[in-house]
Amino acid sequence: MTTTTGETATSDGIAIRRRRKPATPYLLLIPALAALLVGLGYPVYWQVVTSLQEYGLMQQFGAPPRFVGFDNFARIFTDSQVWWVVARSIAFCLVNAGLTVGIGLGLAVLMRAVHGWVRIVMQVTLLLAWATPLVAAVTVFRWLFDYRTGVVNWLLVQLGWESMAGHNYLETPLQFFMVASFIVIWMSVPFVAMSIYAGLTQVSEEVLEAARLDGAGPTQILWLIIMPLVRPVIAIVLLLQIIWDLRVFAQIRLLQDAGAPVSETNLLGNFIYQLGVGQQNFGGAAAVSIFVLLLTVVLSAPYVRYLMKEDVA
Amino acid sequence: MRRTRTVVAAASTITLALTLAACSTDDGPAESTDGENTDSAEVEPADITLWVAGGDTPDELRTYLVDTFAEENPGSTLSIEEQDWGDLVTKLTTALPDAANTPDVVEIGNTQSPTFTNAGAFREISPELYEELGGDNLLPSFVEAGSVDGTVYALPYYFGSRYMFFRADIWDEAGVEAPETLAEFTDVVSELTTDELSGFAMGGQDWRNGISWVFAHGGELAVKEGDQWVSTLSDPNTVAGLEMWQDVYEGASNLPATERDVAYWDFMNDAEDGGAPEAATIMAPGWARWSIGDLVENDEGDMVRDGMADESTFDIFALPGVDGGLAPVFAGGSNMAVSAQSQHPELSENLLRIIYSDEYQTMLAENGLGPANTEFASAMATDKFGEVTVATAEASKLTPAAPGWAAVEGAFVYEELFQKIAEGGDVTEIAAEFDEKLTPMLNGQAG
Repeated sequence: MTTTTGETATSDGIAIRRRRKPATPYLLLIPALAALLVGLGYPVYWQVVTSLQEYGLMQQFGAPPRFVGFDNFARIFTDSQVWWVVARSIAFCLVNAGLTVGIGLGLAVLMRAVHGWVRIVMQVTLLLAWATPLVAAVTVFRWLFDYRTGVVNWLLVQLGWESMAGHNYLETPLQFFMVASFIVIWMSVPFVAMSIYAGLTQVSEEVLEAARLDGAGPTQILWLIIMPLVRPVIAIVLLLQIIWDLRVFAQIRLLQDAGAPVSETNLLGNFIYQLGVGQQNFGGAAAVSIFVLLLTVVLSAPYVRYLMKEDVA
Repeated sequence: MRRTRTVVAAASTITLALTLAACSTDDGPAESTDGENTDSAEVEPADITLWVAGGDTPDELRTYLVDTFAEENPGSTLSIEEQDWGDLVTKLTTALPDAANTPDVVEIGNTQSPTFTNAGAFREISPELYEELGGDNLLPSFVEAGSVDGTVYALPYYFGSRYMFFRADIWDEAGVEAPETLAEFTDVVSELTTDELSGFAMGGQDWRNGISWVFAHGGELAVKEGDQWVSTLSDPNTVAGLEMWQDVYEGASNLPATERDVAYWDFMNDAEDGGAPEAATIMAPGWARWSIGDLVENDEGDMVRDGMADESTFDIFALPGVDGGLAPVFAGGSNMAVSAQSQHPELSENLLRIIYSDEYQTMLAENGLGPANTEFASAMATDKFGEVTVATAEASKLTPAAPGWAAVEGAFVYEELFQKIAEGGDVTEIAAEFDEKLTPMLNGQAG
């Protein structure tokens, strides 16, 4: 009898503890979850619904949309133009993310090496580039590369490249993307450089001193000591860059407005915008958007896995 | 003025009654907004918004609208917002269905009207109001572009047509005469062309000027077969026009094949520091005149172009046809409509009454914009600019009134077509390729 009562008491105690323990974290999660559901869940829900409907200008002005199942997806994936846009976007994203992180890393290492006011000048310069509004930056680059009055052509002519007079950079897709890359990289290098620099300052002086005592040269210290230590930071900024460069939109759009072969320079963001808002095919645009969402997940999955492993370790 | 106001009040009562009548049968989203308006019998003062497209409406006319509106509608104000032609369709698509943010009255390109009227974006113009605003005197082809099954939704705002502006001094010096035929035009402007000077400056993507060559050859861009629109770029006449345009672009224009909305007049004027002009000839809508000429100081002390005052330097002619006469050019212009979601329909209609008033129509004509009310077109034909405008407008043509035309413009398909041709591609092949792409788009089946 006594033992049973004792047991009951114990189990009761455990039960109470169990009940109380999970409640608080879940409660605390509610605001975040609610914000996510409202901010992300609802638009995604709409996106999915619209992608399964025939939704055009008529529907935008109140006509009931028609459910068409996977018609929008079928039409998109049988269109070779879409695959060109996808290929172009992935190439643009990888090249730009790679270059941005490479240049940013170089600048960060440089900032660590230089002293005093040189570093401050560098940091201020980077911050100014980072603070430039996007439209202003694109406008400046448009002027720089203008075929008639641009400084770039003028400089090249002064340097003896007579044939560059009146050269139009936006005419061929390859050179168009070169100019676009200049803008994208110029605007995102500051963030990468500052983040990696912040990471570099965390590398403790003792470790470096120990390496030096063991006879490691500057190159070895950089590649064998510093790099492995800041790898998590580099991985995160690379992941962010890939996501950002995949959804680049305004830079391309503003450059296209200066006169460019539009369908040959569209990236995914511009393609969706043109399909949806330009051609009023909202259903098709929603379908492509969902594809881009999946593409982003696929492209960033290895990094997310790597980061999670890193967290556990 | 007082009399006008009584008419206005009476007319708004009529429209209100009509709206209410429409309400009972209509279950569209407009219902709730109309319902709100029934609460107050008389029009509440408010701020209404007019969207004008591009810089075609001169400042003088804008000021007139704002002042007159405030005067005739005590307590209410009018804000005019200028939208870029390039983004207009996009902006209208997102703003018009949104009752909270819709502009009340909008200007829309005549070729874009059918797409939006068919989608129910605009408020109906009642037959009474239509009569009051000018009725049958309003430009018929534009009224048609703004109507669905006999119901009018969008009215003409202004029309313009394109003609050629040229540097008479450069032409004279080269000893060339105004051409009689389209082929002669190509020869003349090609002869004038050097590395520094475009005999005829035209951007490669500039299809709005380029399609005049198609129309001149009797070609069509698209025709309706049964109930389906078919793109007819491969039609021999259309191909012939496109090929001739290719010749003139290649022979006489130094502009890149990707240029589209170019301020051509900048090429025609002497540079501000006295440099030589970069073009001997351009094609532009009539209102381009006010951006051409010598720099002079106006009453406000700003430096402006004198509107081609020096006739020995600047002159105009109409684009000649294939066998002489006039080439049918693309009729530019726009329509005006009230948003179906407008919260202030009565005030919006009051604004329409000002726009279609005799005073404003005269002002349009005097500023070189073809007035919506054709009775006032005579006010234009008082000088050579007016004469050429009226003559070319009579011979002008519109783009196909297909439901998907706005989508074609939104996707820059014609820009690309003309760029490909400007780059020297085989016109027959390009035409076939684009026909395939355009036909489904014209019928509103988005690709």
